[in-house]
Amino acid sequence: MTRHCGSVILVIGLALAACGPTQIFPGAMMDGVETNFDFTAWRTVPNAQTDRKVQLGGRIVQSNREQGAHVIIVTQLPIVEQPAYGPKDIGRRSGEFAVVYPGALDPKWLAPGHRLVVIGTTGQAKAVMVDDVQRSLPSLTARCVHIWRTAGREISDFPHNAGGGYEPLEEETHCAS
Amino acid sequence: MSPHLRQAMTASLAGICLWSLGVAAWASESGPLSKTPGPAPVAAQGEIAAPVPSGSQGPTVLPPGGTSVEDLLLQKGTITMDEWIQIRAEQEYSGAESARRIDAIEDWKTRTELLPMLRDKVNFGLNALQFLYSHQDAHVPEGKSQDNFSIRRSELLFWGRISDTLPRWHALMEFQSINFGRETPTGGSGAATGQPIAATFFRESYIDFRPFQSWAPYMNFIRMGIFRMPFGIFTETSGGLRDIISSPYLTSVGSGNGNRTGSAGSIDFLQERDFFVDVRGKLFNRLEYVAGIMNNNNFHANATGANAPKSFYTRVRLFGSDVSWISFTTIQGESNNANTNINGRGKGAFDRYGLDFRYTSKIIPGFMVQGEWWQGHDGSNQTTVGRPANGACLDQSICGGSGAPGAQRRTWYVLAKYLISDGLFQNWEPTVMYEQFDPSTSMSNDLYTRTILGLTYYFENFPPKVQSKIQFNYEFRHHQGNGPGVAYDTTFDAFAQNAFLVQFQIRFM
Repeated sequence: MTRHCGSVILVIGLALAACGPTQIFPGAMMDGVETNFDFTAWRTVPNAQTDRKVQLGGRIVQSNREQGAHVIIVTQLPIVEQPAYGPKDIGRRSGEFAVVYPGALDPKWLAPGHRLVVIGTTGQAKAVMVDDVQRSLPSLTARCVHIWRTAGREISDFPHNAGGGYEPLEEETHCAS
Repeated sequence: MSPHLRQAMTASLAGICLWSLGVAAWASESGPLSKTPGPAPVAAQGEIAAPVPSGSQGPTVLPPGGTSVEDLLLQKGTITMDEWIQIRAEQEYSGAESARRIDAIEDWKTRTELLPMLRDKVNFGLNALQFLYSHQDAHVPEGKSQDNFSIRRSELLFWGRISDTLPRWHALMEFQSINFGRETPTGGSGAATGQPIAATFFRESYIDFRPFQSWAPYMNFIRMGIFRMPFGIFTETSGGLRDIISSPYLTSVGSGNGNRTGSAGSIDFLQERDFFVDVRGKLFNRLEYVAGIMNNNNFHANATGANAPKSFYTRVRLFGSDVSWISFTTIQGESNNANTNINGRGKGAFDRYGLDFRYTSKIIPGFMVQGEWWQGHDGSNQTTVGRPANGACLDQSICGGSGAPGAQRRTWYVLAKYLISDGLFQNWEPTVMYEQFDPSTSMSNDLYTRTILGLTYYFENFPPKVQSKIQFNYEFRHHQGNGPGVAYDTTFDAFAQNAFLVQFQIRFM
């Protein structure tokens, strides 16, 4: 009887662990990070909310290399848990923001359409060129970024791809040293 | 309450309402006047008199309309008020024209956004269009050639996403040719060959159904229909994304008719497609699973309607990194040799066990190695499609006798490739693969082996949607024979003679 109870508890424990929330960044990096940061308010008045540790998600629009850092322009998307953890396009147009990543990244991770979650510190609005148009976007300096190489598709489309085959989704976390 | 009192109160309330409306109307009329002194904004008409500023006429008067360029010019006396009015009129005219155009575009946008193609509900693409040249060393009958051109695949794909509940529908059509399948006759021992039956255009058709959004990705969705088997790696890889031209032996091997040893003839170890219902999900963000049930009679059964045998299958795939894994797969169930579309499964208990792995290097980008190992037992009286059998062998002079035990079969391969990403040989990819198939582990002298040396050049390589390439493969093939004591001649055996293949492919969706 005790053995049966132990087995049941083990199975329940494993099931709970299996269905637990996904953590993509090291635990220490998440200390003090606002995961429910109000992007709309920040976008409206970017310079009013500086030096805040936040987590945001989105889709890469473009990236440039500036003074040893990558400046990644991202269209903000909500981060969801279902059907797959990560930024999800819900069809409503949101705003862009700039991510300054002070480190090196392989260009294959920065292609337009890839999905991204970033944790970093908000800073002053940054003047950037987006599609040959000068814009002032809210910016943050990244501590860590997690990128899915989705190339414009949803994260939940993987690994069962459009061709009917199996294609694992490449994803990686990068942290600035 | 008395009627008089009620009338008095009604009259009072009506009076208060009228007084409020009157005050509001007065306020709205007087408001702008008090807030915006000076001339009203000038429209296109030029008859409205306005003070014409002049540099010599005392203090500068701010012109109407803010501080645009023409306002500054007017302020500095560079242009006259008539000219200012003319500029403004032209601006307003062009502004109205722009607004009209934008309205038209918005209207068009609203209409086009409703198109299913733009809402991801309906998509189509070219799964694979492949032109193949092959040369084989094996001799061929009179009238056939050792050198062949062919369209290997001409597959159009249609798919879409209806909602989160119905995240995918999918239909794959093969336009290369309409294949003819054959079925095993269920009786009539005089019929040595099966009746030709036209297969359908479609290769795959399935629906994904996600009943509970909140259960995803742990219980992600249910897939039902015909699709590539979720067994191992190769079987589930689309024809437009394969690293070598030939199909591996685990799909099918051998030619001709079988015998009672189980070592001869065509053997379909794993069919690529079938009718399935399965459930898929992911646990711990590292462990994928699939579990379901299938007909176990190949997808041609859609045309022949022979769906009797059923099998359970499951696969668990443990990820070491995002793109490297090891998996275990099994199929357990029944096979049938009546009305079958699969060579050599026999009648009775049937099983398959498989292990596969893939290592995609992050230390050496572009390097990948993968392998699969499969073993399985077929039912008794295994037969090739078209041979008379219905449980027992119905014509022992043809099939070699009844009561042949089911064969235990085994196959494995290892494939490695390296994509060169810069320098002179950028986009070239050398590939090497070795595979082995043992039709009956209890028999000797029946082994198939093959080594493939390949070279691929990618014109476009953005898998899984885009991959245009040319592939060169040389295959070193060897076949020991059809079992001990069975006469065997390699002259006409394509599995015993080397081959060279070149394939040009486009895949775009």
